[in-house]
Amino acid sequence: MSKFYTYLMGIVGAVCASFLIRLFFFTDLSTRTLRSDILQGVLIGVGLAFVMAQVYGKIKGTKINGWTTMYGCGEPGNGMFLRAAHSWTFLGPINVPEEAMYWYTNSDGTGHTLDGRQNYIMHFPPGQLPPNDAFWSLTMGDAKNHFVPNPLNRYSVSDRTGLVPNADGSTDIYIQNTVPIDRESNWLPAPSGNFILWLRVYIPGAAILNRTYTVPPIVKTK
Amino acid sequence: MQHLLIFSGVCAAAFFLFTYLWPRLMLSAYKRAILHKGFGQGPIAVNTLFTEPQSLFANPMDKSYTGSKLAVTGVNRDTLYVMGWLDLNKEAQVMHVPDMAGSPRSTRVEAGRYYSMQFTDPSKNINFAYVGKRTTGTGAGDYLITGPNWKGAVPQGMKQVSSPNNSVLVIGRVIVKNDSDLPAAYNLSKQIQLTPLSRRQP
Repeated sequence: MSKFYTYLMGIVGAVCASFLIRLFFFTDLSTRTLRSDILQGVLIGVGLAFVMAQVYGKIKGTKINGWTTMYGCGEPGNGMFLRAAHSWTFLGPINVPEEAMYWYTNSDGTGHTLDGRQNYIMHFPPGQLPPNDAFWSLTMGDAKNHFVPNPLNRYSVSDRTGLVPNADGSTDIYIQNTVPIDRESNWLPAPSGNFILWLRVYIPGAAILNRTYTVPPIVKTK
Repeated sequence: MQHLLIFSGVCAAAFFLFTYLWPRLMLSAYKRAILHKGFGQGPIAVNTLFTEPQSLFANPMDKSYTGSKLAVTGVNRDTLYVMGWLDLNKEAQVMHVPDMAGSPRSTRVEAGRYYSMQFTDPSKNINFAYVGKRTTGTGAGDYLITGPNWKGAVPQGMKQVSSPNNSVLVIGRVIVKNDSDLPAAYNLSKQIQLTPLSRRQP
């Protein structure tokens, strides 16, 4: 999902840059027409705006342990460049940070694409489940951001799905295609192919808003 | 030289215009989805709220609701959605929300079910107001949603939500605690309703 835009940004950026260099340094200007000035101006302008929004989104966004998020979305007073960057990072009218924070990832903590042929664990140390005054959840989507059919009809795990902590107070979430033995309560069913994950925290706690809370990575176990 | 100047001017204008308009272009897809397509049950009239059906939440693999894919940023199994597109040009709208605690007296913020009604300016993708547990608590209430040119007195018992734009995208979220809680969550979501102001004060 985010990789697609990264590649597109690279291609559009390269096309725009090479066009500008050709135009300004290697073109016989007497061959140009008003029509081509305007037409190409619009195309290159839009292309550069797209590249700018992507680059600005990468600068303003944070990527930690493979998880991408962005603070400050939807806040009144945001400037036009920030609004454009937000609207590309999250393609929708998402909440302001005080109401909800969202993280998404399509890769594990080491940068490899999440793949249902592997097994993964998300490990929350004791007391490190996402702090909130409403709820949190971890939701599974396939590569196209659709729900994944599974025998339990379970599409997310959360503070409401009866996760069982380990003896030391930590919590493991098993993210895999087949049910983990004796760990069904903590299983988030994955598809057989690539997938993405969404972490949502509604009315996030201070540790999230002041950016001291770190979302744990997805770790490959098999 | 003249060609380079024209090209550069057009290029800069397109750059700023596209950057400025991108949030609006993106949210116009939501406008189309709400007003022209709907989410499996036909278009949703302007100034009315759509409530996500229980069956869609219970069985998100149901293929008959393909339209709903458009309406969310990421897959969500936490909340029922309430959605609508407002046009405040003609008149202000009154949004009623029920008591989310289920008991008529509860006004404490901590007491009730999590819900939020997000008011988004679709020209900028900016959330200019919220009604909900975090901001207004979980008690019942009537909120007068007014456009930028609205003049008048806010009727007694109503709180004003003033929008900088006559078009407003409303997105509501009501938590579903578990499968057996779904009917209760739906029943409360369904009670979040809009009425034109003129019909509230004859």
